[in-house]
Amino acid sequence: MSLKPTIGIETHIELNTNTKMFCRCAVVDTDEPNISLCPTCIGLPGALPVPNKKAIEFITLLALSTGCEITSKGMFHRKNYFYPDLPKNYQISQFDLPVGLNGELEIVIDENKDYIQIERVHMEEDTGKSSHSGSGRIESATSTALDFNRSGVPLVEIVTKPVISSSKQAVAYIEELRQLSIDLNISEGRLEKGNLRFDANISVAPEDSTELGTKVEIKNMNSLRSLERAIDYEIQRQTKALEDGVEIVQETRHWDENKEVTSTMRSKEGSADYRYFSDPDLPNMFLSDQFIKEVETLMPLLPKAQREELMTTGLSLSQSNILSKSDDWIKKMYVKVFDQTKDSVASYNWITGELQGQMRKANIEVLPEWFNDDYLSEIIELIKSNKISFTSAKIILTEILTTETTPSKVAEQKNLFQENDSEKISEMINQIIKENQDIVDRIKSGEDKLVGFLVGQLMKQSNGSVNPGMAKELLFKELKG
Amino acid sequence: MSNEFNIKNIAKLASINLSEEEQDSLSNDLSIILEHVNALSDLKLNSQQQEIFIHPLEKELELQEDEVVESLTHDEAISNAPESKDGKFVVPPSME
Repeated sequence: MSLKPTIGIETHIELNTNTKMFCRCAVVDTDEPNISLCPTCIGLPGALPVPNKKAIEFITLLALSTGCEITSKGMFHRKNYFYPDLPKNYQISQFDLPVGLNGELEIVIDENKDYIQIERVHMEEDTGKSSHSGSGRIESATSTALDFNRSGVPLVEIVTKPVISSSKQAVAYIEELRQLSIDLNISEGRLEKGNLRFDANISVAPEDSTELGTKVEIKNMNSLRSLERAIDYEIQRQTKALEDGVEIVQETRHWDENKEVTSTMRSKEGSADYRYFSDPDLPNMFLSDQFIKEVETLMPLLPKAQREELMTTGLSLSQSNILSKSDDWIKKMYVKVFDQTKDSVASYNWITGELQGQMRKANIEVLPEWFNDDYLSEIIELIKSNKISFTSAKIILTEILTTETTPSKVAEQKNLFQENDSEKISEMINQIIKENQDIVDRIKSGEDKLVGFLVGQLMKQSNGSVNPGMAKELLFKELKG
Repeated sequence: MSNEFNIKNIAKLASINLSEEEQDSLSNDLSIILEHVNALSDLKLNSQQQEIFIHPLEKELELQEDEVVESLTHDEAISNAPESKDGKFVVPPSME
């Protein structure tokens, strides 16, 4: 029996507003507990919620950028459940009238584009954080401690349709959504801080079946790596169960990062169990055409459009995708260096390869103040005009990353300008030939490969200042006539 | 026990304890309420009429600017907590 997996993903994005969703407490990033609270976000009786205008702008922006239809007549609902991190015993969320419906997100895997359909984009509030004390296993905790700083922080939930078919697609989707939220400037997009959190609904069914299999929800995936591994594990587990004739139970499973397995957390609630009803404290929300138009003016160049623009410079889809998901300064640097050199591949390779590689190696997080984008263009031009070798260019880059200087100055000081004068090179070659007569004899008797050794000697003696291509050519001429 | 719902599960979701007698009497009450509400599904509505948008407040939602307003201090916020430790509210263990 051939089986196919189907995956849907629910992502929560924490918005980077100054204040919480339904009160004016500051959104704080601190370990100091319970310092940004008010009667509304800790659910004291009589406190009333008023939505944050900025958060509504942000979710509208996200919904528009994913091509969603905007629900102009929206509504907030109460999602009821009892858990101590939820002080009101309900979460304010949206049920049948979310802000956005039926969108789509373009993703890129290698040199291929794909489209992930989005079912809905809705607004809700975050919960507090609970920690469990006591010795040993979490189930035997003796008490639960609560910090409500996060309680009420605006969250956008984006739900895909069950259209994802592999862990690779799932990862590409989250990467795209993360970059989108950064470019829209609605979230920091930092996975390690929980700015973006995701759950996956996974089912497996026979290849020719028109119906989906029983779905299992996987929680607690904190990184793209765990998302990929958890999905792969769960597809394998369900496939094996079906092949062995074991029934899949609809449930929520927990991804164990250390053991790399999923295990049962609880049986899955149906939406009826949450007893959704419209929140009587929050009147209906009308998003006027005027409001939507104003939000549209905030729309930046989206990752998809950035890729298209980058491809017009000559980059491949995957190169454009990598750049579109890079930090802003890298994107800007590419555009500037390409403008100056008109060489897309060299600009791309020097920025994403050599520059970032050297920065990582030297633990440099931010470019030094004196570092000018023009320097990279200068280096590329120096290589192209044969004035410096590739090896020298790397040395120059290392130097300008740590010392306030310019590429030409370094080349001069370190004597890195290549010798292109054939007479001078010939003089040096004669010297090398004298010193390596045995090698020369072997070359003459047919061991052509050894020319490389002589070129190496030449480079060594000239501190890398000889143009190696030219040197090789002249050596051959000299030895073979 | 009603055929249409599980009163024990509803009590569990609402986090309340019901005696056998209470379960019976509430089951009866809930059955009557459900029957009453189910009558709505017999209504023949066109798509426009189906777009029900009822809210107890006949008022448009107002939004607030994203500006911080100081509220409770840390000490005020946890002053009523029956138990606290290291600045956190402490409650009986809760594990799913």
